[in-house]
Amino acid sequence: MWISSTATVTADDLAQRIDAVLQQSFAAAQVAPGPVSSDAEFCRRVTLDLAGRIPTVDELAKFLSDPDPQRRSVLADRLLDSPEHSQRMADLFHVMLMERRGDHPEWTVFLRTSFAQQKPWDQLVREILDPQESPEQIRGAAWFITRRLEKVGQQETDYPGLTRDIGRLFLGCDLQCAQCHDHLTISDYRQIEFQGLYTVYRNTSIRTDVKFPAVAEKPLTRKTDFMSVFDKQPLLVGPRVPFGIEHEIPQFESGQEFAVAPDRAKNFPGVPKFRGLRLIAESLPSAANRRFAENLANRLWFVMFGAGLVNPLDQLHDDNPATHPELLAAVADAVTAAGFRIRPVLRQIVLSQAYQRSSLGAAAGAVPYQYGQEKRLSAEQLLASVLTACGTGGPAATADAPAEAEQKRAEAFVKAFGNIPGEPELEFSPSLKAALFVLNDPLMQEQIQPGGGNLSERLLQNGDDIAVADELYRAVLSRAPAAEEVRFVCEYLGQRREHRQQAIGNLVWGLLASTEFCLNH
Amino acid sequence: MLQSTCQSDQHQFSRRRWLGTAAAGAAAVALPVFDPAVHAAALQRSAKQVLFIWLDGGISQLESWDPKPNTEFGGPFRAIPTSVPGIHVSELLPQTAQQMQHLAIVRSLCTQDNAHSSGVDRIQRGDPKDRGVVYPYFGSAVTKLLGPNASGLPPYVWIKPLSGGFMHKDAGFLGPQYGSLAFGDGKPPQNLLQHANVSDQSLQERMEIRAFADRQYARGRPAASTEANGFVYSMGLELMQRRQLFDESTFAPADVQRYGTHDLGRHMLLAKRMLEAGVQFVKVNSYGWDTHGDNFNGSWSLVRRFDQPFAALISDLAASGLLDQVLVIAMSEFGRTPRVNGHLGRDHWPEAWSLCMAGAGVRRGIAVGSTSDKGTWVTSQPYDIGHMFHTWFSALGINSRETAWDNQGQPLPIAHEDCHPVTELLS
Repeated sequence: MWISSTATVTADDLAQRIDAVLQQSFAAAQVAPGPVSSDAEFCRRVTLDLAGRIPTVDELAKFLSDPDPQRRSVLADRLLDSPEHSQRMADLFHVMLMERRGDHPEWTVFLRTSFAQQKPWDQLVREILDPQESPEQIRGAAWFITRRLEKVGQQETDYPGLTRDIGRLFLGCDLQCAQCHDHLTISDYRQIEFQGLYTVYRNTSIRTDVKFPAVAEKPLTRKTDFMSVFDKQPLLVGPRVPFGIEHEIPQFESGQEFAVAPDRAKNFPGVPKFRGLRLIAESLPSAANRRFAENLANRLWFVMFGAGLVNPLDQLHDDNPATHPELLAAVADAVTAAGFRIRPVLRQIVLSQAYQRSSLGAAAGAVPYQYGQEKRLSAEQLLASVLTACGTGGPAATADAPAEAEQKRAEAFVKAFGNIPGEPELEFSPSLKAALFVLNDPLMQEQIQPGGGNLSERLLQNGDDIAVADELYRAVLSRAPAAEEVRFVCEYLGQRREHRQQAIGNLVWGLLASTEFCLNH
Repeated sequence: MLQSTCQSDQHQFSRRRWLGTAAAGAAAVALPVFDPAVHAAALQRSAKQVLFIWLDGGISQLESWDPKPNTEFGGPFRAIPTSVPGIHVSELLPQTAQQMQHLAIVRSLCTQDNAHSSGVDRIQRGDPKDRGVVYPYFGSAVTKLLGPNASGLPPYVWIKPLSGGFMHKDAGFLGPQYGSLAFGDGKPPQNLLQHANVSDQSLQERMEIRAFADRQYARGRPAASTEANGFVYSMGLELMQRRQLFDESTFAPADVQRYGTHDLGRHMLLAKRMLEAGVQFVKVNSYGWDTHGDNFNGSWSLVRRFDQPFAALISDLAASGLLDQVLVIAMSEFGRTPRVNGHLGRDHWPEAWSLCMAGAGVRRGIAVGSTSDKGTWVTSQPYDIGHMFHTWFSALGINSRETAWDNQGQPLPIAHEDCHPVTELLS
């Protein structure tokens, strides 16, 4: 675990702190940091990161013509305060926490209301770890656990998998290997870290008496027996947060275990007096648990920079130090100082020079953070960006049965661009499946078909090929075209006067399928 | 103007770079320093192909490759002579018996796992030493090690009943791009059909505009992302243009009759077309081999349904000469118990079982290894799946002792380090 720096970092000076630490690492490597991003590059990057889509042509134009020297922080603040930011955070954390195990409307409500209210991360995690039936807008939090308790085919309920995910996602510790023995190469990961959590989760099940996701908990009456597969010494552990203190299990007389008695007629499982879920929820997400803060710090860093300070994200331990230990400490301090509110931390990261550096000019072998990094776009970001680029995200999409059609479209994008269930989405990994979707799926062709004032229609109505090139590049790639790109477009259109509609469609498609569009860079 | 923007050699180069070295999973093969002789060997190697027939659930060795007629556990079926004097197989393999001159049988497999759920993985990953990493399945490993060939088709295709799609699980630490493209019930993946509004000309132009945009983007940036993106689009286009490959209506009726109209027959015929088209690794799955009950009626229908297309395929590959470069393997996750249970079935038996292989660098017309009179135990040197992996890699021209995976800096053997190639199986 990293010792916190002597001068505690507050959320407010995190940006400076980040740049000071990186400056030292550049000096040590005897390199100069790369140039600052252009305004267009910054506008696209920050809009994708904070609002989950590329900027519209108008938003970009407004930003580029803004004379305010503070326009970057003004833009960041405007984006952070927008409803789209809450949506983006809900999407982002949905993908991070559920890893494409599907979706549930109550879970969506929980995430959206949580981020709209700027709910602190510790509170949000408490609500996930010990889900309550009311109020209604947070009860969907239970789906994190119930989805993982669902049986797959003939297999047993995957309690170890649920236990593992609690460690991975909230503490950055993949305790999988510690299920059967102390980790062989990671001295921090002992078998007791896994088994203490497992004691709680193997005692849970999905409630069947209510329609919404809800977790049932049996009375916990005794410790878990376990032994290492190596030395076979029998051991015992009660409920325990990894790296924390074990809780004693109080003994009740038979029949006295319940605070609310079960009701068999209604399939109501009852509520035990002593609840492991509550114990974990009270002690895991707290400022006293440094790993909890470090995990959030590392994951937010990953979101904004495309790589964690500690990689893999779920291998936080002493033998796997951060690339920049002082940065991990600084961000974790800032997260704690901000009371686990995410927005002020993201704001500081955006204001750092590190975040605002250009990705242009990066060569293999560059020092980390010397240049801006390429980041994978999620299926949600891609869909929102395609709709923004093509100008069909607004009223045109709300024809008949809009909600249903939109839902189908969103599912198709997740299917094409998402990873398989249970696999985190980390790096850019183009796939044949996604390429065939972009090549042939009617949902993509619809976007290119001129109509409803969309991009293709606007370009088609514009007789000036230079202006077409300009609008095309600004709409799809959020920048002005370079001279050779204008030339390319003009020559192409010039050769296809009789097939102008197809030619315009081909240009829009070609840029939508480009690597530049598919990445945040 | 556009003609000059999209030269096919650039695509070839990009594809080679991507598959060879620019893998997102950071797993790359340690290739020796450039040497013309080695280079020529590598090219020859990439012409190698594999057909991997997986009989899921466990084919009974006693009702196929290692019959023990007239013994306590032998069951009702006879052994029949084959085209190779001295080698006998079960009478349920009458057509395959006539192809024995091309085949190599291994009767001395002794492996570690008798559960399906873990055994399938274990066998297809070569049961490496547990180092806390997920090894690739044989198909992912081979396509990675051989590198791309000239076909432009997906390197790893899986033909199976039921659902299809993009299957990443097989790839293990090599990363999802080494997964398989599964043809569920032999059908090609979604979105393979060109959209009605898009002409061939438009499609071509779209690809050229996309390539132009990527070249612009790649200026002043590392090439990995644009190469990876370009690669999947070229492959998508290649698949679209060759979709008649998967169209069963174009199969010759005589072939359909020879291979059989059942699933396995149709899928094996499709596999033959894919191999002829240059797909590097084709896996064909057949399910339902777990004959815990009524093993003998079950085997009577299952083994004969395998016999027909397998014999047809071996005969076709031999006739066309393709067998010289295609390694064929037919196997399961384990064999079945010699002892017959109370339901006239046979249970799981990893202790002594068999497989069949042919082609590429495999010796032809041999049966290697032996089991006890009742078929219970291996009486010759037992071979684990690690020995088979070494042997198969060798048959494909890959030095299994000296080649290592590079898993993010961690060198890992491509086959179990306690095993070795079985020289008597190699020509």
